[in-house]
Amino acid sequence: MSEPDGRQGNEVSRRVLLQRIALAVASAGVLDLKAGRHVHKAVSQEKQRTGEYTPQCFNGGEYQTLQRLSELIIPADGRSGSALDAGAPEFIDVLANQNEELAEIFISGIFWLDREMGRRRARRFAEATEEEQIRLLDDLAAVADRSAGMLIDFHSAPEYAGFQDYTARPGGRLGPGARFFVWARRLIVDAFYTSPIGYEDVDYKGNHYRTEYEVPQEAIDYVMKRSPLGTA
Amino acid sequence: MLEVIRSPKVYDVVVIGSGAGGGAAVQVLTGKGIEVALLEAGPMLDPEKDYKEHMLPHHVDHRGAGEGGAHYFGRQPWGFFRAPNGAWDLEGEPYTVAPGSEFRWFRSRILGGRTNHYGRISLRFADYDFVPYSMDGLGTDWPLTYDDLAPYYDKAEAFIGVTGSIEGIRSAPDGIFQPCPPPKAHEHLIKQACSRMNIPCIPMRRAVITKPLNGRPACHYCGQCGRGCITASNYASSQVQILPALKTGKLKIFDQAMAREILSDENGRVTAVSYIDKKTRTEQQIRCRVVVLAASACESARLLLNSRSSRFPQGLANNSGVVGRFLMDTVGLGVGGYVPALEGMPHYDTDGFSGGHVYSPWWEWDKKNKEFPRGYHIEIGGGFGMPGVGSFQGQVNRIGGYGRQLKDRIRKEYGSFVYFAGRGEMIPNNLSYCELDPVTVDKWGIPVLRFHFKWSDYEWKQARHMERTFVDLIESMGGQVLGRRSPRQDGKGISVPGTIIHELGTVRMGNDPRSSALNQYCQGHEVPNLFVADAGPFVSNPDKNPTLTITALAWRTSDYIAEEMKQGHV
Repeated sequence: MSEPDGRQGNEVSRRVLLQRIALAVASAGVLDLKAGRHVHKAVSQEKQRTGEYTPQCFNGGEYQTLQRLSELIIPADGRSGSALDAGAPEFIDVLANQNEELAEIFISGIFWLDREMGRRRARRFAEATEEEQIRLLDDLAAVADRSAGMLIDFHSAPEYAGFQDYTARPGGRLGPGARFFVWARRLIVDAFYTSPIGYEDVDYKGNHYRTEYEVPQEAIDYVMKRSPLGTA
Repeated sequence: MLEVIRSPKVYDVVVIGSGAGGGAAVQVLTGKGIEVALLEAGPMLDPEKDYKEHMLPHHVDHRGAGEGGAHYFGRQPWGFFRAPNGAWDLEGEPYTVAPGSEFRWFRSRILGGRTNHYGRISLRFADYDFVPYSMDGLGTDWPLTYDDLAPYYDKAEAFIGVTGSIEGIRSAPDGIFQPCPPPKAHEHLIKQACSRMNIPCIPMRRAVITKPLNGRPACHYCGQCGRGCITASNYASSQVQILPALKTGKLKIFDQAMAREILSDENGRVTAVSYIDKKTRTEQQIRCRVVVLAASACESARLLLNSRSSRFPQGLANNSGVVGRFLMDTVGLGVGGYVPALEGMPHYDTDGFSGGHVYSPWWEWDKKNKEFPRGYHIEIGGGFGMPGVGSFQGQVNRIGGYGRQLKDRIRKEYGSFVYFAGRGEMIPNNLSYCELDPVTVDKWGIPVLRFHFKWSDYEWKQARHMERTFVDLIESMGGQVLGRRSPRQDGKGISVPGTIIHELGTVRMGNDPRSSALNQYCQGHEVPNLFVADAGPFVSNPDKNPTLTITALAWRTSDYIAEEMKQGHV
């Protein structure tokens, strides 16, 4: 089995991590939380960014559209940055560069968006005003979500072969755009919530080293006070 | 003429397969000074390289979606970060499913097999589980009793380390337990809901150590057991039994060794195992005094069926014809819910050890005139799980739209979901079995299995009961049931056969050689130096996950083998 991302640096860091664990176990008999945190930090530094990302799959205009979609689908707010800040366009580019099927879904989808915006406003999606972009995405979301839960039988629909939980309703002029919207939203949402920004946004506190596992009483009290079953 | 390379050495025992059963056999036999050759069809495991337990999604460019976004195309059903654990489809090693049947077979090809990733739920069978026929007239009684196996449950729990608590519940016999970590906040609510419905909800019994054991450090609660544990704080046969057994000097591991046939002589005794060395694509033979088959229930059945001779025209140890018959999986059904009472809870680390810290053993075991036979246990999910690719797609589909409102709702609802999964007993039936496919072979030229499977009304009625129970639990907590309700009769609403990965029963044990292949020591009725140490020998598939019983039974079998070898009987 090769290293997950094929990096040498990863290998070294994992070794450091293991040594620290061995050390902590040997000295204390149990893992030392401080050592654990240190290890965690070491792992976080495994993937180092080196400067600006250059798209490998998409051309400049396409990438610009992905960047704009990322800002619109998961925007920045008072609490955290946007999916653009979280590296969503890069994520999609990396995957599409390895997978022609995915590249085709995005390239054809971006073409469709541009053509539809051209029909409405005589300009590319990325060059339209925010209001115009939102109006188009609202239309696509409406089509996509109206049929949410209506699972398409992907066996019997050749155009959807290969994916199972795509929920856009087939047919209609906006159909292809809605199909692309679901794909874009799916990957942009994933990119955001798998990033450090997304982890902070939802305030995920797990995958830590702990010598004891405890559940804070305030969390238990909070839930039990709100229980419709009455206080236990 | 095919050149076969024969080992000059005669091993005491060849163990085929390195999962729970093979691991226990290796541990017990080498511990008694017996020389063991272990065949594993996959590569060696290197936990340091192969386990990704502490990685976060952003540590890799694809965030866990896999090369080219395999996740989005259904090509990575277990997630990128899982322990190397096999797959539903292995390249070059197919199986077939008969028309009208549905079956999925999860196979692992690596040292430790499926124990590297499994859920580690470790439940003893109850005393009544060994006498199902005597209880309700369905199925067959086991050739051994709970009391016969109890000392081995003790040994297994004490050695591998299992959490739990003393409860005195007949459907969940107590054992040798390590302390279980405390219930999480949502589990307090679930316990309350269970208690209103008179359903017990007790600390989980899981093969994770919370105190140091035999040089293994206690769990550090990263919650990623499914990715494999580099500190060996949960049980995997690879780390806990096999790699340590190498230190005895009594174990030789043959990895990438795909067993093809078990060879026997004119007296019906096993003499050698023929295997394909995948590294060199050559056929090799290892000679031995005893064979322990632990390749997984169906793979073991396949090997026996492929080992034909004039003495055993239907396959080795199969003059009864039962090998491959009585295939069972577990009845699985899950229902999730959104519970507003959980919303806004102060965030905390809910990872704990992997999975729920509580579970519900079956509660109607003494109820007469139920609408279905036997029962199920309930596994419980919830909490602020580690975000990964796909984690929020259920919410996205439910909430719809995009932008700030979507982001707000996802954040607000995070941690407000619970999930109940039923794991129930299937009654063996004549329409569920595996056999050799008449035409298909794998890339090594070995005939493959063809599966037949049918749930009966017993299972459908049980699934209905599960669904009603879980909906009641969720609604009593003020929650909303998510997803489609009401499993339909036409093959939807129970897990696809095989997908709970509790497939077993295909090399059945029993007292009567006409209706079973093995005796109560999992020894071939017709082949005294052949033993089976996986879940093939199981006579029924009670609503307790099978692994702990595989371990206990393999331990008992191995003790018996050692004694019989000492006596010169095998």
